[in-house]
Amino acid sequence: MTIRKTMPYGATAAPDADERPARRRVLCAITTASAVLLTLGASCVAAQAADAIKIGVLLPLSGNFAANGQQALTGIKMYFDEVGHMAAGHKLDVIVEDTQGKPDVAVTKARKEVERDGAQVLTGIISSGVALAVNDFSRQNKIPLVLSGDAGVDEITMPGPLANPYLVRTSQNGRTVAAAAAEWAYNKKGWRKVVTLGSDYAGGVDTNVSFAQAFCKLGGRVIQAEWPPVNTADFGPYLTSIDRSADALVTFTPGADGLRLGQQYAQFGLKGKLPVLDIYAGIAYEPNLKQLGDAVLGVYSSLFYTPMLKTPENERFVAEFKKRTGMLPANEGPNGYVGAHAIVDAINAVHGDLSDKLKFMAALKAVKFNSPKGEISLDKYGQVIQTMYIREVQKVDGELANVPIASYPNVDQFWPFTPADFEQFKYSWKDEKGSLTDCAKLLAKK
Amino acid sequence: MIWVIDTLNGIAFGMLLFLLAAGLSLIYGLMKILNLTHGSFYLVGGYIGLTVMQRTGSFVLALIVAALAIGLIGAVIERFFLRRFHLDELPQTLLTFGFLFIFADLSLWIWGGDPIMITQPQIFAASVPMGDYAYPLYRLFLIVVGLVIAGALWWFQEHTRLGTMLRAGVDDAEIARALGINVSLLFTLVFAAGAALAAIGGVLAGPVLSLYPGADFDTLILAFVVVIVGGLGSLRGALAGALLVGLLDNFGKSFFPQFALFTVFVPMAIILVVRPTGLFGRR
Repeated sequence: MTIRKTMPYGATAAPDADERPARRRVLCAITTASAVLLTLGASCVAAQAADAIKIGVLLPLSGNFAANGQQALTGIKMYFDEVGHMAAGHKLDVIVEDTQGKPDVAVTKARKEVERDGAQVLTGIISSGVALAVNDFSRQNKIPLVLSGDAGVDEITMPGPLANPYLVRTSQNGRTVAAAAAEWAYNKKGWRKVVTLGSDYAGGVDTNVSFAQAFCKLGGRVIQAEWPPVNTADFGPYLTSIDRSADALVTFTPGADGLRLGQQYAQFGLKGKLPVLDIYAGIAYEPNLKQLGDAVLGVYSSLFYTPMLKTPENERFVAEFKKRTGMLPANEGPNGYVGAHAIVDAINAVHGDLSDKLKFMAALKAVKFNSPKGEISLDKYGQVIQTMYIREVQKVDGELANVPIASYPNVDQFWPFTPADFEQFKYSWKDEKGSLTDCAKLLAKK
Repeated sequence: MIWVIDTLNGIAFGMLLFLLAAGLSLIYGLMKILNLTHGSFYLVGGYIGLTVMQRTGSFVLALIVAALAIGLIGAVIERFFLRRFHLDELPQTLLTFGFLFIFADLSLWIWGGDPIMITQPQIFAASVPMGDYAYPLYRLFLIVVGLVIAGALWWFQEHTRLGTMLRAGVDDAEIARALGINVSLLFTLVFAAGAALAAIGGVLAGPVLSLYPGADFDTLILAFVVVIVGGLGSLRGALAGALLVGLLDNFGKSFFPQFALFTVFVPMAIILVVRPTGLFGRR
């Protein structure tokens, strides 16, 4: 692909191409400011439209994550439509590719978007595996990546070997949603002993360890940790072996597991006897609510969003999202929307000149705006700082909904710890799957 | 009490596995087709049942329509596609693998990607109190339905003319043909019936396991485990294998949760070592 960029006689095309937009902008500014000739002004617009900024979207539109991908895409399109596909006088071309939720496919599609279509920014991405692969691609090729989908792997935005100066993540990470759950459980509910039940894969381990760590720091304890495999058909054996002296059951079960657990928890007679706190809302996922019916009433969940937020930004967002899809947004819709918003704000901040990529990244990290999720800003590592909500499933006008009952604004990725704490922890979360009940080990320092 | 719950759970899950494995096993036993589309029959059957249930609210109608529709699809696949590669195992397997993908994408297109649960029939929606816990009535219903279907299949195989023909075909298709049995028709009928059983399994499992993209692969793997444990080509084997896998899985997860991923596969490996043909397999 480097061949294409090289001009005859060894001269490269890059400097010339990069100067052109700036020069043209100055020209246009002069002509439009003088406002003498309308026709000249019009030709400027046409000239600018010619060098559109290309944005590559990578989402799973087929395969197991297709429904999530479609929601994210709706969110992304909604924001670009809102700004008329224009930023800093440049047209925004959005190129969409299907990752099928597979890391190898995602990298191939990322390469296609960058090298063939000329994408200058990549966005989207659902699943941590895909995020790790595309993060690598972005770092090696110095391509700005605005990770706006559900991909929680913590390390890519933390100091360490996976850190990438060309990455920002406006969606979430694994830790924070769990930390907010721990804080609320300990301080608002007064729970001291809980049982955790988390899907047994990297994301589940990360989330549950994060919960246990934060809960231990406050003084609580996990007394039993259950790890059903992903796609557990029947939670019966897990539900019936729960230590009933616990104050609550803390769960992390995305996908079809959440739907089944929600139903079986009620069927096995635990509802009303043992409260459930559902990290990431795998049970209380919006499309599940109607199906689960009263079984899910009273389930607490922790997430960075709920469609029930009564802010002007969110009410407008929900109305438009419903109009386009006929559904309530869950988490992917607002995430995609916020990612697109960050990209547009950063393009405006650099006046449409993306040639200095690190300058563009600095502009991305400096964005600050109000969104359907609440106030959004980024830390110096590129990870979003946002509000965490504790929600409870209640009946609102006869329909089940996740009503926010507590919120924690400006939560950063390390909360309630600091970056220094993480440098001192003796074990990484990967070594602690078997030690959830052991607070001393979870908080051990080097 | 937990023992009782785990046992009931194991049997209920085993009954669902039996419905899947019975068809898979019979099809292999008679035609030597390793039918990978069986997972699709289960999932698409479940989805069809879901749509019927949503439209009419009748669970019985959902079962009937799903079984008939998938039975028909099965017959078409056997007649017009698999027939061309009779006893040619590799093309047959690849063909059924291809159908698995086609059905997976079609269902994603029609029913979307979010997990969906079939509403359980209202009379079975309650739970029976059991000590500190409760037991869902629907699962007891599953056990009864599974036993009834197993009994019906056994009676059919042992006491009807078609069943005799089927057994003859499984034992030696060539001799059976020489004796004047219409093996060609038998093939189509058995393939359709196996597909219909998988569809019934899909509808019955819908309210418990939910339907989602990927359920076809997940159930296919479990059905294979059951068939391998029980022995290919035998109804008795499918039933024994299904109950054994269901119970081992439940007790395993209950008592050794740290080995949850292996509760199904370790027993399979052990049985393969001790009895390579499975519990009731021949040859």
